[in-house]
Amino acid sequence: MTETVLALVPSYGLLLVALGTFFSCLALPVPSSLIMLSAGGFAAAGDLVLWQVGATALIGAIAGDQMGYLIGRYAAQHLRGRGLSARRAALMARAEAKLHENAAMAVFFSRWLVSPLGPYVNFAGGAARIDWRGFTRAGAAGEVVWVTLYVGLGAAFADDIVALADMLGNASGLIAAGVVAGALALWLRAALRHRSIA
Amino acid sequence: MSAPRVTALRYLWTHHRWGMIGFGAALMLALLFAVRLTVFTIYWADPAHRNQPIAGWMTPGYIARSYDVDAAVIRAALPITPSARSTLAEIAERSSIPLPVLLTHIEDAIRAAAAP
Repeated sequence: MTETVLALVPSYGLLLVALGTFFSCLALPVPSSLIMLSAGGFAAAGDLVLWQVGATALIGAIAGDQMGYLIGRYAAQHLRGRGLSARRAALMARAEAKLHENAAMAVFFSRWLVSPLGPYVNFAGGAARIDWRGFTRAGAAGEVVWVTLYVGLGAAFADDIVALADMLGNASGLIAAGVVAGALALWLRAALRHRSIA
Repeated sequence: MSAPRVTALRYLWTHHRWGMIGFGAALMLALLFAVRLTVFTIYWADPAHRNQPIAGWMTPGYIARSYDVDAAVIRAALPITPSARSTLAEIAERSSIPLPVLLTHIEDAIRAAAAP
């Protein structure tokens, strides 16, 4: 699998980089990290141009984020209030309020540090109609970090692309799973406290 | 386990089952990734494993960089003048040389260039 992706990068170049980051922002299983790392590596080898790789990855990612936000927004319009018990609706409202409070942070960090959650923050952000300008600003800033990190590491350690992809993939999975577990733990604790009040 | 704790867990399980299942699943996933990260770190810490053998996905330029030889050395070992960003697999196919043979050619060329 890894080698197949690696072989596609020099053949399809910048187009693959843009499509890779675009679709990975929509929760499609695209190996965007490996694509960016290896594109950085091939840039270091002179097959691609580094700034072009970075710019294309960034454009694809930002466009993907916007697409995800729009999808969330339109999906929510059609589903709003449907089939939710009063209790669940209240819970959703609270989650939405929370998202509004911390929108910029959630968007920024889910671009790179907790990148597996990025697409879902896009959908949720659109569904909750968080401020679009703030979403775009925090999102673009986060994508700059994400792209710089992966393309930069790929270029700096061009010889170790496969090793890097293995380590970064598992590290980001660990962080994302840890954040989800932590958030659910907080939520369950709040639910317990809610019960003792009721 | 104390009685209040048991009832708390029972309460959560009856009223927030999906939250509990999600929490358990996220913990298991975190554990799995932690184990994989450890295993990969140990594996890749060994310099011998980091020495990537020449493979079909590599381009001549990538090999030149990776093995620290002049690009001309690799180019001279190729049967054809490749178009920009051709991988070795593509070069092998276009020149109808089996890929393993081409890989051996290039390995020989690198060894010859490195010899004093």
